[in-house]
Amino acid sequence: MKAVAFDYFCRKLNMKKNIIYVLFCFLAFVSACGEDDTSDSQPTDSYDRGALLLNWADNIIIPRYDNFATSLNTLVTTSQSFADSPSSSSLEEVRASWLTAYSAFQKVSMFEIGRAETLNYRNRLNVYPTNTSEIDGYISSNTWNLELPSTIDSQGFPALDYLLYGLGTDQETLDKYTTDENASSYTMYLLDLVTTMQTLTNEVISDWENGYRETYITNTSSSASGAVDQTVNAFLFYYEKALRAGKVGIPAGVFSETSLPQNVESFHNQFVSKLLLTQALSATVSFFNGEGATADFPSNGFSLNSYLEALNTVKNGSDLSTLINDQFQVAFSKIELLDDNFIEQITNDNTKMLQAYDELQRNVILMKVDMLQALSIDVNYIDADGD
Amino acid sequence: MKKLVLLSIFVASLFTSCASDDDNQSENVPTQVEAPADYTFTRNNETTVKFTGQTTRIFMAEEIITAFKSVDDQTQESLQAMFAHQEGAEDFSDPELNASGKSVRSKTAASSDYFSANATEATEIKAMFDNYISIQTTEVFDNWSTVAAPGVAGQIADGSSTRYVGANGLEYNQAFAKGLIGAFVTDQILNNYLSPSVLDGGDNVSNNDSDVTDGDNNYTTMEHKWDEAYGYLFGGVPEESQSNPLPTIGDNDSFLNKYVGKTNSDPDFNTIAQDIFDAFKLGRAAIVAKNYQVRDEQAAILQQKISEVIAIRAVYYLQTGKSSIESGDFGAAFHDLSEGYGFLTSLRFTRDTENGTSIFTKSEVDGFISDLMNDGPNGLWGVTPATLDAISNEIASRFSFTVAQAASSN
Repeated sequence: MKAVAFDYFCRKLNMKKNIIYVLFCFLAFVSACGEDDTSDSQPTDSYDRGALLLNWADNIIIPRYDNFATSLNTLVTTSQSFADSPSSSSLEEVRASWLTAYSAFQKVSMFEIGRAETLNYRNRLNVYPTNTSEIDGYISSNTWNLELPSTIDSQGFPALDYLLYGLGTDQETLDKYTTDENASSYTMYLLDLVTTMQTLTNEVISDWENGYRETYITNTSSSASGAVDQTVNAFLFYYEKALRAGKVGIPAGVFSETSLPQNVESFHNQFVSKLLLTQALSATVSFFNGEGATADFPSNGFSLNSYLEALNTVKNGSDLSTLINDQFQVAFSKIELLDDNFIEQITNDNTKMLQAYDELQRNVILMKVDMLQALSIDVNYIDADGD
Repeated sequence: MKKLVLLSIFVASLFTSCASDDDNQSENVPTQVEAPADYTFTRNNETTVKFTGQTTRIFMAEEIITAFKSVDDQTQESLQAMFAHQEGAEDFSDPELNASGKSVRSKTAASSDYFSANATEATEIKAMFDNYISIQTTEVFDNWSTVAAPGVAGQIADGSSTRYVGANGLEYNQAFAKGLIGAFVTDQILNNYLSPSVLDGGDNVSNNDSDVTDGDNNYTTMEHKWDEAYGYLFGGVPEESQSNPLPTIGDNDSFLNKYVGKTNSDPDFNTIAQDIFDAFKLGRAAIVAKNYQVRDEQAAILQQKISEVIAIRAVYYLQTGKSSIESGDFGAAFHDLSEGYGFLTSLRFTRDTENGTSIFTKSEVDGFISDLMNDGPNGLWGVTPATLDAISNEIASRFSFTVAQAASSN
């Protein structure tokens, strides 16, 4: 229809013998044809998306959530014990279980799909820097509502980081929960934080267990609503925004006039920022390669890596999957050079942070451009409007 | 059918170009107009360009939309006073704005062509903006610390942002800000300052023909009217860059400048900012050259392109809102649809260059809003993808862009 209309229009114009209009017609006609062609093409390949989704759901995503839930249960238990009998030893137990849970969270944060997406799960658990003045206000007024979206910067792991490490010396911290005039409010807030995290996580797991898994593993369509497309988009969004930008780029000042060391992950316990980044990147790489909890799971290894291999995707003469894995190793090697304490690193030698960022960024290109093109997946997210 | 319409537009434009070819061959050759490199015009080595009034009004509007979310500092009375500012009243943080006798409300739905003889609708439109202020400061402010739900005003998460919506899911600050892009900025440019009724008003033509300047000013009234149109798009640009404003297009205000920039960043429309700037420049040069045919041709280009920006952004937000509705992300959807709501109301101020009236009638625009808000009992909470597509298709059908082009990247 479009072509016919253009053809008619062009013939009318040909009679005018206007060479410029003829050229215009020709170009318009060619581009009209081009559009028609692309709209017909439907990518198909023989890769077993069902096996891939099964490996992702049963061997990676659900086991990782279960592992995280276990660590959260411990965090709730130790927090309750601390609330019942605050002491330096019970405080140390909460701190230790906080770090274990925070580490386990790094392995699930990339799966913001299904219930996690509608719960805004990552933002409920890990928005930083945390809003210490808002938290102080809630505690002194003994009033808060963690269900309000405006409180996401006063909850989750970063809020716990503040309550466990940001209140002064160990003795001063203990005093807040014992002799301070708001001691009971401090305790209640701590408990509300950990139980909210537990409740949210149980909701996500329960959704996987009660129907979402079945929907997910059978949704093999290669369209924007297919489970592969959605998982890959969530994964890339996480890698680009939460890992690359959040953990490294933003504090290193890549997106601002000056560096922002106050924006590191785990600002109050300053010595674990690198650990959390390393765990996040390891979890990213093992997801990319399909390495699940059980090595002899039938489709263990079904992954973005094996998908690209099956498609024989080559860039500049090398396998794209190899290029991506090699690039992850380069990024690791740059991260290895960083101080455990990112505030120190940014303050003393931010160049190394920037170099780590650059290597992480190279894989944004390889995955978001080259990999998505090979897999015929469209990016479904755009940068926020900013207002 | 749509193709036939397009075809007839093509054919019509063909005849138009033939006609002007003929004109060029006739004896009566109009003065050739050459556009300068940037928007710089002088008389006796002094600039003739001035649009400080537009800058003032844009800055007032910026303060108002910021104040819309200042739940702790603002009331209905204080916001309304900012909107309908009176000279000397301490409404703004900037003392220069307080000292000014100008206001945003007085230029809302206030163009010569559309509203000088339509006080009824002008009053209705002003009341619509007053009502946004009223609902924001009662329903929305009162529920600032409530979790929003269907029929319940309050907060809703949009990624890491928090949006504050009415019981119908609408963010009134967005409806207000994006609505002003049409009722205030676009209406003033397209239907007031670029209109012959204003450019040629009074003795403007004879004065411009004889270089009679306006009182003590260094410009003719006609030159100044054109510059005031320019100022509604570029008045937020720092003074030293106002003659060459494209490098920062999109960053200089929250109104038309921002959305010309955003439209231009879509590869489908990546010449539109340059096209608009070039038309402003050539049209202004035509006034200096006293060539009113070229002036009016450039005005028509501006009216068409700026109308397109409004329509493209309306479709863009309806379509991004649709994707978010489909994935169940109401917070993201409501934010986009609230921006879309504002751009829909702005369609009323677009201009069909053939007949000088809006590309969308009042009842069509009212119909879009009604469709958007009435799929269910709770406004945006119930809107369906089919409704969003239907409105998008109807808007795009009046232009040469497609819904897909408008909906794509940014």
